[in-house]
Amino acid sequence: MTEMLDYIQFVLAPQVVTGLVLGVAVILVALGLTIIFGLLDVINMSHGEFYALGAFASVALGAIGVPFWLLLILVPLLMLPVGYIVERGLIQRVFHSGDRHVTTLLLTFGLGLVLEDVFRLVFGPNPHKPETPMPGAIELIGIFLPIYRLFLIAIGVAIIIAVALVVYRTRLGAMVRAAAFDRNMAASLGVPVSWVYAGAFAFGVALAALAGVLLAPIYSVFPTMGRDFILIAFTVVIVGGMGSIAGAVVAGLFLTQVQAIASLYISPVWTDPIVFGIMVLMLIVRPQGLFGRLGHA
Amino acid sequence: MPDALTLAARASHVLVAILVASALIFAIVGAVMNDTFYLRLATEALIFAGLALSVDILLGYTGLLSLGQALYFGLGAYLSAVVLIAVPSFWAALGAALAAGIIVGFLGGVIADRVRGVYFALITFGMAQVAAKVVYNTRSLGASDGLLGVPIVDINLGLFSISSASPAGFFLFVLAFVVLLYCLAAYALDTPVGRLLIALRANERRVPFLGFPTRSLRLTSYVFAAVIATVSGALYPMLRGFVSPELLFFSTSGNAVITVVLGGVGTLAGALYGSVLLIGLKSIIGSWTEHHLIVIGLLFMGAVIFLPRGLMGLVHPYVMRGLQRWGGP
Repeated sequence: MTEMLDYIQFVLAPQVVTGLVLGVAVILVALGLTIIFGLLDVINMSHGEFYALGAFASVALGAIGVPFWLLLILVPLLMLPVGYIVERGLIQRVFHSGDRHVTTLLLTFGLGLVLEDVFRLVFGPNPHKPETPMPGAIELIGIFLPIYRLFLIAIGVAIIIAVALVVYRTRLGAMVRAAAFDRNMAASLGVPVSWVYAGAFAFGVALAALAGVLLAPIYSVFPTMGRDFILIAFTVVIVGGMGSIAGAVVAGLFLTQVQAIASLYISPVWTDPIVFGIMVLMLIVRPQGLFGRLGHA
Repeated sequence: MPDALTLAARASHVLVAILVASALIFAIVGAVMNDTFYLRLATEALIFAGLALSVDILLGYTGLLSLGQALYFGLGAYLSAVVLIAVPSFWAALGAALAAGIIVGFLGGVIADRVRGVYFALITFGMAQVAAKVVYNTRSLGASDGLLGVPIVDINLGLFSISSASPAGFFLFVLAFVVLLYCLAAYALDTPVGRLLIALRANERRVPFLGFPTRSLRLTSYVFAAVIATVSGALYPMLRGFVSPELLFFSTSGNAVITVVLGGVGTLAGALYGSVLLIGLKSIIGSWTEHHLIVIGLLFMGAVIFLPRGLMGLVHPYVMRGLQRWGGP
């Protein structure tokens, strides 16, 4: 009996918490992806690089002495104009071409390549490791929990709730959902559709950057960090349903827990194939994902 | 009077013939000057042109964007390396790669063809990524180091044999091999089945009304593209003497897509020109700075925005017009 309690206390529980931390971060990245897809019908292949951009921005600004709590506000704010310009200057240029899915995917893929190499040029290929802003750990029913990880989970949950409230309970959110459902009808009712599009893209990108700021002290910051993250984020978006906010949350929590638990019992090498297998099964059984698309529910 | 598709195919043949003629001159100059570096680089460009061909069959003809074609290229490369280390026979390696390409291509196709559009792109991306992770962590396949020490092979062609160690000889062999793949693809895409693939790209909903099964057509094109990528990959360890997990990474798949878009989607010839262009650009920019991805990424974005038909979009119409004038009354 004590053996089993020990096992839960020292092995299983920390793994679940680690999975939860990753889950919250993945949800933030996936939320941006899914909003951009739900509204613009665009797969943003450079999303992982925007996540990395947020992490690098926090490293750079942290180095000149900007406190961590300010970074949490400043970096996403700085990303808004970046996202706005990318949507207006690049994506809109090919948005109306016949094969929108492919052209926008290719364009954002190219942007990701450029960004990744820019990181390498500016910050060098080696990983940076920012200091943990909140050192120390607390003990909760015998389980040691680093304070920063708890903080990350709390703030992540707060942001996810805030995003859901904005999308489903405000006038702005109603405009976004209307534009996602029927672009032309929304435009005739006076919704500034092109502004909503660019704004939503910028918002999604800012969420990814925020995830980058939050995760930088836990994982290290390196140029290809976005690439490793994007597969799981895409998997979450597909399993949850492209363009679904609730889906991203449920699938994000579920898949990261599967990853965390699977790496305990099976080798960590096999976590990706398992998660991917779930995605394939989902595509076979229910291709539209767990939940409906933004504006269509 | 040939129809538009035949005319476009002929224009591609002319452009490939020009490429082959320049490659032959290049090989002679290279052999005379006793060069190794550039001949090897050009051989590599041709091998990756095979991968690009397979991407173009899917993207340019069937209308499916695969972001994971490196899966098959890497499969061919690893399998060929394993076979060559056991038995140094070219035909055994090629045969193994061919068989594996058909089997794995079929399995992958059954999974990927369940979905279309962006889902197809993401599922192929995911499959390749998972395969790369597994190979990267498998000790018996050399893990992150890859497989080293692939022996030099003599390619027995009946009347004579070519050693993979001879720069000019192996270059000419790979040239012939890739041109053969090109001819095979061009021929297959001109058959009734191949033309149905083009119909799929143009209007997928209409094809079933004409009485054709879309699922098996898409699967056929997927397996065909997979086989082309696998046999191209099988040549890689013969050139370099090793394979590494990078061959399976997204950068390899992504490069193939860049190659096709830069060269020109849906022309086949564009895949060959694009590969030469890309490898050439990389080595030229690479001698200035190691950050060649910035330049190539910007070029690629520029091509997507301003030149959606790629390099071939600039040349192809002129060749077609010339052919029309020449063939007409």
